[in-house]
Order: sequence, then structure tokens, then C-alpha cells
Amino acid sequence: MFWQKDIETMDRKDLRKFQLDCINKQIALAKKSQFYKDKLAKIGELKSLDEVTKLPFTTKQDLRDSFPYGCLVTDLKDVVRMHSSSGTTGNPTVVFHTKDDIANWANISARSMYCAGARSTDVFQNTMGYGLFSGGLGFHYGGERLGMMTIPIGPGNSKRQLWFMQHFKTTVVHILPSYALRLSNTVKELGIDVKKDLNLRIFFIGAEPHSEAMRKKIEELYNVKAYNSYGLSEISGPGIAFECQCQQHLHIWEDYVYPEIVDPKTFEPLPDGEEGELVLTTLQRQAMPLMRYRTKDLTRIISEPCACGRTHRRIARITARTDDMMIINGVNIFPIQIEKTILSIPEAGKNYVIELIDHNCMDKLRIKVEINNDTFKGTLKDLEKLQNKLISELKQELDVTPIVQFVEAGSLPVSEGKAKRVIDLRAKK
Amino acid sequence: MAYHISVFLENNPGKLEKITTILSENNINLRAMSLASSGDFGVMKLLVDDPDKAFDVLKENKIAVTKRQIIGVVVDNVPGSFNKLLLTLASNKINIEDCYGFLLSNGTTAAIVLEIENYPDTAKLLCDKGFDVLSSEKIYKY
Repeated sequence: MFWQKDIETMDRKDLRKFQLDCINKQIALAKKSQFYKDKLAKIGELKSLDEVTKLPFTTKQDLRDSFPYGCLVTDLKDVVRMHSSSGTTGNPTVVFHTKDDIANWANISARSMYCAGARSTDVFQNTMGYGLFSGGLGFHYGGERLGMMTIPIGPGNSKRQLWFMQHFKTTVVHILPSYALRLSNTVKELGIDVKKDLNLRIFFIGAEPHSEAMRKKIEELYNVKAYNSYGLSEISGPGIAFECQCQQHLHIWEDYVYPEIVDPKTFEPLPDGEEGELVLTTLQRQAMPLMRYRTKDLTRIISEPCACGRTHRRIARITARTDDMMIINGVNIFPIQIEKTILSIPEAGKNYVIELIDHNCMDKLRIKVEINNDTFKGTLKDLEKLQNKLISELKQELDVTPIVQFVEAGSLPVSEGKAKRVIDLRAKK
Repeated sequence: MAYHISVFLENNPGKLEKITTILSENNINLRAMSLASSGDFGVMKLLVDDPDKAFDVLKENKIAVTKRQIIGVVVDNVPGSFNKLLLTLASNKINIEDCYGFLLSNGTTAAIVLEIENYPDTAKLLCDKGFDVLSSEKIYKY
């Protein structure tokens, strides 16, 4: 039942001792970086985990500001991989990995998949994006580590996805929840009987917030058990917290990260059970240790023991974020990226709204841009040219293709200070 | 030079009515129109009796509007007459950007409105070929 029984069921007292030891090692390591050198100068060895609050917080902005190598603590010769966020309007957040980092990450990914019931006899189809995005490669390495035959098919092309599932008798799938819903349309179209024609048993759904109702729907549509997965690229990627077969909240791997919940306004630590911002300190990272990284994800820690016997505490499904980041098809998007892109095209109006909509069962961005009366040329051809320009520039910036619509000048709410420009029109999933 | 006006329109109830209300309140007569839509939005070309005034009042009302040059040609209301006009344009490699027509009150002739880009001598060419090219005064009031 366990991938690493000794670690997964470690006595909590021992686990805390292990965490303290790891944190002290991570502090010593972090001091080698340009970014933490001064910040940690006065921090000595911590005597207990209660002293973790002495450590400085780290934010996404800090990572951007220390681009490209400010947070790196090792020689480049020891770095074997990097992952990066999308975007060209500001510095991306870049995360570096040594050989050990990749191995440790593969190990917790394998552990996550194993605890959901995946075994080396399984055939694993990974429909997440490969590349700079950490979702695809993270579980690819985890799947191989676990010993599954891993199909690196990547996203899209629904007919091909189903063809692979049929011919290679795929049993385990890693998929965006919204894509799982869309793919089911193709299942129906092709007249595939999920019970007779497919061998599916486990879906890992993640990289996008989703509800319990959506999980149930995916389980029904594919006749599988679906498990929620949590992760973030700044730490490594998917597999940081995972549901066991009890499907009651996600075990956060406490030998890999030290979790805290803080009040999102005062940043004071909150007790287990109270909702706040999840803050993570890395315990094993070699290339880029992070101290008290503010995830901006809102959740709570569940310290009651789980029926599965694992002693690592659990976090609840992420309910919301403390910032304005949106997650569309697994890609993190900030409204400021959209604003900068629109403002860089003078022929477009300056007022816009961002709508999140359901489009063919997938989450989609719809951006309404006011027409610019001063540059209106009076032909549909010119409008379409401008529309295509906006779409292609936005796609380049965001890594997702939005819908762009023009509306009359003056028809959108005028921005006074920080206008609310993001509207979520998605049906509650 | 004759002009019609081109306005931006959202494809929503009441949007076109907003335009026609402004024209009506300013006593501007609408003679003909054509609409090109891209689904969610489109562009409407309006032939009015006073395009300068229409342009000004729409602009005042913050409507995206431009004036675009047109050529008006009178053709007989018989089979093949429009085709003859198009043949002449095509044989001279003149591309039509936009085109619409309306029957004149005598019932025996119709006016064809052409919007042509990148070929300034089209009106002269049509005159030379014997077509009845309308003066702007006639297009607006005929």
C-alpha cells in the first residue's frame, strides 16, 4: 500500500525532527544565493520548528526580481534542468534542478501516483503539456520511476488520445479536469463504450482548480477513480500534495516541504484547521531552496489522522487565491500580462474586460476590447486584421489562445484605480 | 467625390437601433445600406443624404465612424445589366471592397454603390466605357 512505508508512516515526532534537520540544511544552502545571502545573514541554526517564523517570506515577485540566477545556490555544472513560467512582458519565474532534485521530484511524483493505486503493471498516458510547463515532465519522470509504461502523448488531438487508450490499453491518465470533460464528447462521438472498449481505472486530475462535483462527473464519464493533485513549479511541480485512496483531502509530503498556513493579511501563522494562505519551505531542494514561499493558494491543514495510515498531514482542496492569478488550461495567467499586451497595440482601445467562460467544455479566456474610434478604418477586413493581431500577441504572451471580441467605445466600465476587469462566467462546476 | 459612412456595430439587440435613432433625430435620410458581420461584431455601411452631417453627429455620440469613398452607377433594371458592370471591372482587374444596390423610384433603373480601394480612376474608366456614373449630389438625393 505504500511506496516508502518508513517515510509515509513516520512517527510525527520523528518527522518533525527530520523536518528541522532538513530546514537547517536548506538555510545553510540558501545562504549561498545572491537573493538569500543578506536576508539570512543573521539567521543561525533553528532550535525548533516554531522558529521557522523567523525566516523571511519569499514571493513570486522575489523570484522575478532575482532573474535569472539570483536564487541559484549551486554551480551551473550541477544544474541539469530548468522550468520557467510563460510571459515576455516581465521576467519569468525560473526554477533550476540538479540531478538529485529531479530524482527527488520523480520520487514524490511516483509516491503520489502509487498512493492513488497506480502500479508498475499500469499503462500511463500523460496528456499534460511537455516543455517549460512542469506538469508534463514532472509526472512523466514519476511514472517511469514507478515503473509504469509511460506514454508521453502530451495534450490535444482527442481522437489520437482515444486511439492510444484503446490500442495500448491505457489504465492510468494524467489530465486537466476541463480537458477530461471535453474529451468525453469525442468518446461519445466515436461511440466508444468506456466499460467495454477501454481499460481505464485511475485519472490524476490537476493543474486547474476543480470541485468535488466535477471529480464525480469525471469518475462517472470514464468509470474511473479520479484523484486530485496539487503542486507548483516554484517548488518543483505536480506531486507536492496528493489524494490517497480515501479521496479525503490531499496528503502534503512533509519530508519534501514544510507547510504553514498564514493569515493572508497579517501573515501571522494560523493553527491547523483554519483557512489561510499556504506557505511552503523546501526540505530537499539542492539547486534552489526556498524559504517560506507564499503560494497565494488558500486552503487549510487537516491534522486529524487519515484512515490510510499515512502520518503526513493533509491540505483541503484549494478554494481560491489571494492574488488575481487565473489558471486556464493549466497555465498561470495574470491580468497584467493581458493589459500590457493590449496597451502595446495602439489601434486597439484601452478599455477591456477579461471573461472566463466555458467553451466546448474547456475553460477559455474571452477578452472584450473597446474599439478605438480614432483608428477605426471602417472595414470588417481591418477589424479582423486587428483581431488576429491581438489574438496572436496574446497567445505569445500567455501561452493560451484567447477569444477576442470588439465592443463599442465607452461600453465597458471605466477603470478607476484598480477596476475589476476579470469576470468569471463559468458555470459552477 | 461621394461618400457613404461606415460604423462599427456589436451584434446585439438595440445596437443598430441606436445608430438609426441618432440619424432620425438629426433628420438624416437613409437611402441604402449593407452589413458585414464577423459573428460577434460587424461593420455597417450607410448611404445617407448628408454624409458629412451624419459623420459629425455619430462622432459626437462616440460612435466609431468613418467616411469611405464610393462610386454610384446607374444600371437598367433588366437581366444582365449588373453583370455587364462587373465584367468591365473584372476585365480591368478592379476589385470590389463592398457593393450594394437599390431600385430607383422610376422602377426602370437601379443605383449600384461600389466601394473600391487602390484604383482611383475607376469612375473615369466607367464613364469612358459608357456607364452612367452618378455625381455625389445625385447619389445622395436622386
